[in-house]
Amino acid sequence: MFSYNVKLALKSMRRNLILTALMIAAIGVGIGISMTTMTVYYMMNGNPIPDKSDVLFAITMDSWSPLRPFNDDKPERAPHQLTFHDAERLLALGEGKRQTAMFESSLIIEPVNEDELPFEAGARVASSDFFTMFNVPFIYGSGWDKSADAAAEPVVVLTKQLNERLFGGENSVGKQLIMQGTYFQVAGVIDTWEPTPRFYDPINGAFQEINEMFIPYSLTLPLELQSAGSDWGWKAEDITSFEQWLNSESSWVQYFVELESPRDREAYVAHLDAYVGEQKLLGRFERPMNNNVYNVMEWMDYHEVVANDSKVLVGLSFLFLTVCLLSTIALLLTKFVGKKSETSLRRALGASRKVIFNQQLVEVAVIGCVGGLIGLLLATAGLKGIQVLYEAPDGLVSLDWVMVMTAIGLAVVSSMIAGLYPAWRVCKIPPAAQLKTQ
Amino acid sequence: MGFGPILSALMRNKTGPALVALQIAVTLAIVINSLFIILQRVEKMNRDPGIDVDNVIVTYVRGFGDDFDVIASITNDINLIKTIPGVVAATVTNHVPLSGSGSATGLRTVPDETIDAVSTGRYRWGEEGLDALGVTLSRGRNFYAEEVNYILPDTSAPTPPSVLVTQDLADSLFPDDDALGKSVYWGDMEPSTIVGIIDHMHGSWVNWDKLGNVVIQPGKPAYTTNKYIIRVEPGMRDELMPIIEQKLGESNRRRVIKSNRSLEELADRSYRRDRGMAIILSVVITLLIGLTALVIVGLSSFHVTQRRKQIGTRRALGAKRIDIIKQFMLENWLITTAGATLGVVLTVGVAYWLEVSFELERLDWRLLPAGIVTLWVLSSLAVFEPARRAAAVPPAVATRSV
Repeated sequence: MFSYNVKLALKSMRRNLILTALMIAAIGVGIGISMTTMTVYYMMNGNPIPDKSDVLFAITMDSWSPLRPFNDDKPERAPHQLTFHDAERLLALGEGKRQTAMFESSLIIEPVNEDELPFEAGARVASSDFFTMFNVPFIYGSGWDKSADAAAEPVVVLTKQLNERLFGGENSVGKQLIMQGTYFQVAGVIDTWEPTPRFYDPINGAFQEINEMFIPYSLTLPLELQSAGSDWGWKAEDITSFEQWLNSESSWVQYFVELESPRDREAYVAHLDAYVGEQKLLGRFERPMNNNVYNVMEWMDYHEVVANDSKVLVGLSFLFLTVCLLSTIALLLTKFVGKKSETSLRRALGASRKVIFNQQLVEVAVIGCVGGLIGLLLATAGLKGIQVLYEAPDGLVSLDWVMVMTAIGLAVVSSMIAGLYPAWRVCKIPPAAQLKTQ
Repeated sequence: MGFGPILSALMRNKTGPALVALQIAVTLAIVINSLFIILQRVEKMNRDPGIDVDNVIVTYVRGFGDDFDVIASITNDINLIKTIPGVVAATVTNHVPLSGSGSATGLRTVPDETIDAVSTGRYRWGEEGLDALGVTLSRGRNFYAEEVNYILPDTSAPTPPSVLVTQDLADSLFPDDDALGKSVYWGDMEPSTIVGIIDHMHGSWVNWDKLGNVVIQPGKPAYTTNKYIIRVEPGMRDELMPIIEQKLGESNRRRVIKSNRSLEELADRSYRRDRGMAIILSVVITLLIGLTALVIVGLSSFHVTQRRKQIGTRRALGAKRIDIIKQFMLENWLITTAGATLGVVLTVGVAYWLEVSFELERLDWRLLPAGIVTLWVLSSLAVFEPARRAAAVPPAVATRSV
């Protein structure tokens, strides 16, 4: 029966080619546009580390000016980064299960041979826990040991791409490279790792590629590493050396902690309060106590990682889909009116209302499927266009199987809904009435 | 034939026309709101930056090694760049306007930390800085060469107190007074004197509402990364960019050319979200209008075919061709107008949602009448061809049995 219905549907579709083409085009364009905007939204709104997002926390402490809040528009917020020395002390206290202080920097990789050219590479300056905390996958070696943190050893973890460029992609663990006149030993090479959004640093950009290498946070002072990210200051301080800069009230270090369980967050905030309480005795942290921890998804919300433009586009594209469905209903109604005599004849020959109704629905489902496939093609093109427009990294916005299934499902379901009323109208056609006028 | 018979015909078969009217209404809501967003983004991108964006090249270099002498390197680089024919002016700077990377500070007119400061972008460059960006000084003077010294990181060497400010910043600081010659105070309460006023110039962050506020201090920043702003003769930019990169590369091997780009490219990148949104919405409304028009054409063609007999009968009873065209056009006009009326309500609803949820600006109401008129014209065009074909139905059709 089903295949017979499909055959009838195809026959009927062929008979009114223009109307059929219009319906397919309407569904295709509607699905294409809404899937494009949905995919971008889904990517921006995604959970980059689902198994740990509720035990990883970004922390903030209010070390800002006693005279005014960090953010005038949101006065309840503390600065979103820490001072270097506060981060260093929290690391030393080591209250969480794992923790990392971190910032972005860049170093020049100096040539070993005369004929090579030096080049600059972006670095994430972090603690040894970074790799285990954030589930970073390795091809060769591993992260560095805690002892390297403590001794400020010049070790480096490379991305696959940088290892490719420097060592031709071979196992480079134990090899050396020169940066800032210092010999760094390769501790490990990570595999492709593209957390989207780049949750550990939405401040410097949630949708960029990760930094090309990782080096220990404790190297900051000996190598005078400078932040390539943002820094925020409120206090006029006389700074004449790098050491003074590290001890200043300028906020430029990000800090993440991993806790055993989501329930431990209050205890951790209490730990921060205790730390700030001690600092208050030293005359720092003059604002009211305001320390917070944010889990990964809260931190994404905090930084409004999902762009408003993306939400507006999703809203407008669903209105667009509504227009497409209204078109489809109108076109179907028109088409079924033209099928009055055929339907009457089938009814007169004994086809029940149910049979007629099912047959109409099969026809719209076929139209929905074809429209959905066209919509997928359009969405692929649309996403390519968006990647070019926004200069997004390759593969950042692409359809995965969830989105493909959603597209086809959405197309079929919405076209069926569109087909309900016209199908009902058709099966109300009485068997004989149309035959008489012939 | 007037409205009466057409209306009663429409009422007999409500669903089809109601669907088309509803489609027109939603179309209007999407098109007008999208168009409003597009117009706003285009207006934003077309703001005058006050800078000769087309003829400026921006080059970032960074030295390495213990024996690297940053001051000598900058001095040599600037001298070298200026010997290249076609270069008009060059300076080293702390930040590059329109690039998305910059520094901001707060200035006050009295040395009192408790009052709110005026936020502004902050730059530091040499006496050739204005010329290198093609920025015009409307009043006062530029920096003297002797005011411009090298500034090393982590030093608090005193800076000469002269500063240049934009007219926008001058107006925010001294709304009732002439700012030229007045003192302003930095966060540490050090005073500076406004020696010159720049007519108009944009700072680093194009999405910042204080984009027009800029203060400039004299100095040549000798930091880790040295940023050069180079202005060239009109039309020579693309030719000179590789030459500058090559000459700088050859002159000192202990240095990396981090990037060498046109200011136009940097500015385009800063505006890419706005451009992206405007382009996406343009595609959306083009597809939408195309689809709606095609559907109207398709439906009316089909109805003409369905009503051949009825049309033939009217023709046989004495209706002229123009009467048939009128009938279809009027019917379409009624549906469009019903759709547009509902559409106005929907448009305002969507605009309200955008304004409240996303802090978008309030819809410009003038787009509404413009949208309705466009809708009338478009839908009339869409229905004209089917109506013409209807008019061509010969009266004799009425006499045939089928």
